[in-house]
Amino acid sequence: MLKKVPAASLLASTLAVAALACGSEAFAHHSFAMFDIHAQKSLTGTIKEFQWTNPHTWVWIVVPSANGGASEEWGIEGMSPNFLGRRGWTKHTLKPGDKVTILIHPVKDGGKGGSFLKVTLADGTVMNMMGTSAAGPAATPGQPPGQPPGQPPKLAD
Amino acid sequence: MRGVMRIAGLGTQRPRCGLMALAALAALAGARAVPVQAADAIIAPHVMSWSELGALPDFTTGIWEVHLGPGALAQAVQPSLTPAYQARAKAYTAAQATGENQDSPGADCLPNGMPGIMGQPYPMQILFGPREVTIDIEAFMQVRHIYTDGRPHPDDPDPTFNGNSIGHWEGGTLVVDSVGFVPITPLGFNWGVHHSSKMHIVERFHLTTPDMLQVETRVYDPEALTKPWVTSRLFERHASWTIAEYICEQNNRNEADQNGRAGIVLTPPK
Repeated sequence: MLKKVPAASLLASTLAVAALACGSEAFAHHSFAMFDIHAQKSLTGTIKEFQWTNPHTWVWIVVPSANGGASEEWGIEGMSPNFLGRRGWTKHTLKPGDKVTILIHPVKDGGKGGSFLKVTLADGTVMNMMGTSAAGPAATPGQPPGQPPGQPPKLAD
Repeated sequence: MRGVMRIAGLGTQRPRCGLMALAALAALAGARAVPVQAADAIIAPHVMSWSELGALPDFTTGIWEVHLGPGALAQAVQPSLTPAYQARAKAYTAAQATGENQDSPGADCLPNGMPGIMGQPYPMQILFGPREVTIDIEAFMQVRHIYTDGRPHPDDPDPTFNGNSIGHWEGGTLVVDSVGFVPITPLGFNWGVHHSSKMHIVERFHLTTPDMLQVETRVYDPEALTKPWVTSRLFERHASWTIAEYICEQNNRNEADQNGRAGIVLTPPK
C-alpha cells in the first residue's frame, strides 16, 4: 500500500496547515522530520481509541493482517482538538469499533505510526484536517445528500 | 468555514470604535464624555477609565486567528543576520545532514517566546483593562501583559520568553514596546536562527477592516541583526469562538533530544 506520490499531490495533502506554518518548524510544536512526507499509506481497520488530546489527537486503529497473521495496531497523529474542533470535528467523530480507512504519511523508521491526512468513515464521509474533504465529488462519495460543499457533515454521536 | 459561525446579534455590537456612538453611550450611562481624539493622536499612557477603554477600537470581541488569505503571513522577509549569528544558523542547518536539529525544543513543549509565539496556528484573545492590554495566546497557553498605565520598563528586567511589554495608543493603533528576553528562543519560527538578550521589539496593532487585525512587528537586535527585521501579519476575527485549553504535556508523543534528533512515541494507550 506504500506508494510514492508526486510533489503536486503532496503539496495539496499538506493542507493549509503548511500554509499556516510557513515551514515545518512552525507546525505549532514540532517538525515533520520523523514522517516520510513523500510517501502515503492507506490503513483499513477498526478504531480502538480516538485520543482527543493536546498537543495532538491520536487515532489508534487495529489493522487485520493481510496474510492471516496477527493484527497490527497503528497510532496516527493529527492536529490538535483545538484546531479540529473549529473545523467540523468532535471527540465523537471516530468511535471505538468504527470501520474506517485512514490515509497517512508513515513514519520513516518503519514503525506503526504516521501523520494523519484523511479518514473515510463507514458511511463514506471523508474528513481531513480542515473538516469535510473539499477534494470534490470523487473524493467524497459519502457526502450526505443536500450537504453544501465545504460544510461539515452532521455527524452521528 | 471559518468566520461563518457568527452569533446572531454580536454584529450589532461591532465596531464599538465609533467614537460618536460611544460618547452617546457614555452620556447615557452618566459617565464622563470621552474626548474625541485625532486619528493619530498619541494618548499618553495612563490608568484608563472604562469609558476610555470603551472608546478604543474593538480588539476584544471574539478571538483572532492568523488569516490564511493573501497577505496573511509575514512577507517572506528573512532577517539580516550579523556574521556571528549567520554562522550559527549555517552550522545548525549543516548539522541536519547528520540527523541533528531535525526538531526543536518545541517538540518537548517549550514555547517559542517572542516574536514566534504571535504566529502560531492557534488563536489569541485580546483584553483591555485600565492598566494593561492582555493577550491570551492559545498555543502553549501563553499570556502577554502589556502595561499601558505609564510605567516604564524595569531598569534591569529579568529575561523571559515573552519579555516585558509596555504600550500606548496612537489614535487607533496600539504600540507595544518589549524588552528583556531569554536568548534561548528562536528569532522567529526557525530554531536555528536566534536573537540575543538585547532583542527589542516594537509591534503596532490596528484594524484594517472591522474584522481584520494587522500586527506589524519590528525586531531590533544589535548583536543578531544588521538592520531591523520588519514583518507584518493579519489576524481574522472569529466572533463566536472562545479560547480552548492547550496543555502540551497532556499527550505529547513527540520529542527532540539535546542535539535535535527527533523521536516519536508509538506505544498504544492502555
